[in-house]
Amino acid sequence: MPEKIRSHKAKKVIERMGQKLNRQMVGSLVACVHCGMCTESCHYVLANPDDPTFAPAYKADQIRKIFKRHFDWTGRIFPRWVKAQDIYTEEELEMLKDIVFGKCTNCRRCSINCPMGVDFATLNRMARGLLTSVGIMPEGVAAVSKDQWEIGNQMGVLKEDYLETLEWLSDELENEMGDPAARIPIDRMDANVVYAINPREIKYDPRTISDAARIFYMAGENWTMASKEWDMTNFGLFSGDDELGAAMVRRLYEKVMELRGKKLVMSECGHGYRAVRCEGPNWAGMDLPFEMESSVVTMLRYIREGRIQVDRNKNDLPVTFHDSCNNARSCGFFEEPRELLSLVVADFREMYPNRAENYCCSGGGGAMSMSEYTSLRLKAAKVKADQLKATGAKIVATTCHNCVDALTDLIRHYKLGMQVTQLANLVSNALVIEKKSSYLPKF
Amino acid sequence: MNFVENELQLLALSFMGLVYILRLRWFLRFKAGAERQRPTASSDTSRVRGILYSWANIASPWAMESTRLKPFFYAQFVIFHLGVTAGIGLSFVIPYAPGLLQNISVVRIFQGIMICAAVVGGYRLYRRLSHPAVRLISTSDDIFSLSLLIVWLGFAVWVAPNRPDLGEGPLLIYFILTTFFLIYVPFSKISHYLYYPFTRYYFGKSMGHRGVYPIKRVPQRKPTRI
Repeated sequence: MPEKIRSHKAKKVIERMGQKLNRQMVGSLVACVHCGMCTESCHYVLANPDDPTFAPAYKADQIRKIFKRHFDWTGRIFPRWVKAQDIYTEEELEMLKDIVFGKCTNCRRCSINCPMGVDFATLNRMARGLLTSVGIMPEGVAAVSKDQWEIGNQMGVLKEDYLETLEWLSDELENEMGDPAARIPIDRMDANVVYAINPREIKYDPRTISDAARIFYMAGENWTMASKEWDMTNFGLFSGDDELGAAMVRRLYEKVMELRGKKLVMSECGHGYRAVRCEGPNWAGMDLPFEMESSVVTMLRYIREGRIQVDRNKNDLPVTFHDSCNNARSCGFFEEPRELLSLVVADFREMYPNRAENYCCSGGGGAMSMSEYTSLRLKAAKVKADQLKATGAKIVATTCHNCVDALTDLIRHYKLGMQVTQLANLVSNALVIEKKSSYLPKF
Repeated sequence: MNFVENELQLLALSFMGLVYILRLRWFLRFKAGAERQRPTASSDTSRVRGILYSWANIASPWAMESTRLKPFFYAQFVIFHLGVTAGIGLSFVIPYAPGLLQNISVVRIFQGIMICAAVVGGYRLYRRLSHPAVRLISTSDDIFSLSLLIVWLGFAVWVAPNRPDLGEGPLLIYFILTTFFLIYVPFSKISHYLYYPFTRYYFGKSMGHRGVYPIKRVPQRKPTRI
């Protein structure tokens, strides 16, 4: 039998796996007992009950078999006994790509349901990173990553377009408030709040920026947005590329420091919050001199401190809340949105299960940018559709732009007739606006 | 018989200990990833609480949906592991404290636990071979380890009264199987207990720091459609 030739890319994947492994990953690779307890925690499995290849342990094994073959004792000596397997060709890498990008949203639900504490989502992200490092990734992920590297934001928004959008949003706010000071400040030094957003807001959803601006204005906040390095999103989290992850957060952190901002406030973006608030300091290796928080926390504080007044009856349709996986399961951020909702909506209905046990919207892990897996994603979204339907709510609120898109898509697909909104929209709608000359203090 | 019960077991045990030390040395050579960010946790969670909660997971069937919704599976886990512990205990009791087995109640307790464990083992083997996802992920090692444990538990039940006067055969087989296990375990999935404290420590530490652990669950009425 002729000797198998290993492709250059396969060689690199194996070599880089050895460099990426840390103790947590190795623990997750060696500790799985194949009990199958994770199986039914996965929304892909629930939507595809007849296909065992969606089981989280099976998907993890596609990474684990390479680890066993090259790094684990038993696997190196008796590979067949423990299903250790080598990887040689680019076709095999492509198959692995379809599993780690197409059959898993890195939602981490299986991780919290594993009796052994195996963190499959971390393994999956590592595998994505290895493939990305040799150029094997979905087209959409490649395109967005390129935009982040080269233009500095994931939607390739040019500086001129960004500033022009903020300009007309400022004009609208000024007209609405009848106050020439009611504008979106750009690059203001020493602001209490530097506000970072998801480029989707500039491109497709500017009302969320104006809602946030209205709230900051009404609260009399000394705030600013940056003229560049304003993108809080981070495709490094999705692609597993730690270098991109570090580069993106470093740009943002350095901009806040340059502006001498006291606090970085992030708009409602699940993965962005996780990347900037939770993973970023690790990737960038930086200890930061400023605080970071979600705009949800900021809005909640404004209400608690009486800086803005709200009337919950202005949002009178029944509202349910979808927990972003990155917020709830990876950052423990789930009570504040509920507290805020209880103040700004008249009829709140909890979803089951919720908080850290909630199901993924199906658009996590960058799935919305991977059109080749859309049919798989929408099929798996059945679980979320059933959850939404059972609440009887007319509106689903969420703190994540990816979730907004995925939920909108699945609501259309499953004909649920619901609207999707974010908390800034609900808070803004509930604002009690009294006419006075200006809400802003002199800066 | 005396050699098989004593010296051979001690030799095998020393071998297992040595391999475990080497395994842990290998494992600890990998650098642990650090969490640099400030805690996202609310005031009622912390790294320490996360670690303790994570370690306590083994005795908290309500903590995970996967065990909460499947109490039968959790009960199996408890019975099976108690049976294995009893079987291991027996391998020490027979040579070093045989007097304990003079009491027929003690023998019956050992036998009862191990019979239940063997039955559960049988069911687990059936599940491993019949459940499509579990069959797909199972390795030869998984199936072999479980099968051999069932056989070993069977012999343990047989020899629990410790009556070599009725024939040394079963005792010999039990101790030879025990020796085999002691040598095989460090290379098989049965050694998962070696990693459990570490995997749960790191996962709990991270989840505690980030405010996810202890899991906050507000009991809800489960809608009928889910």
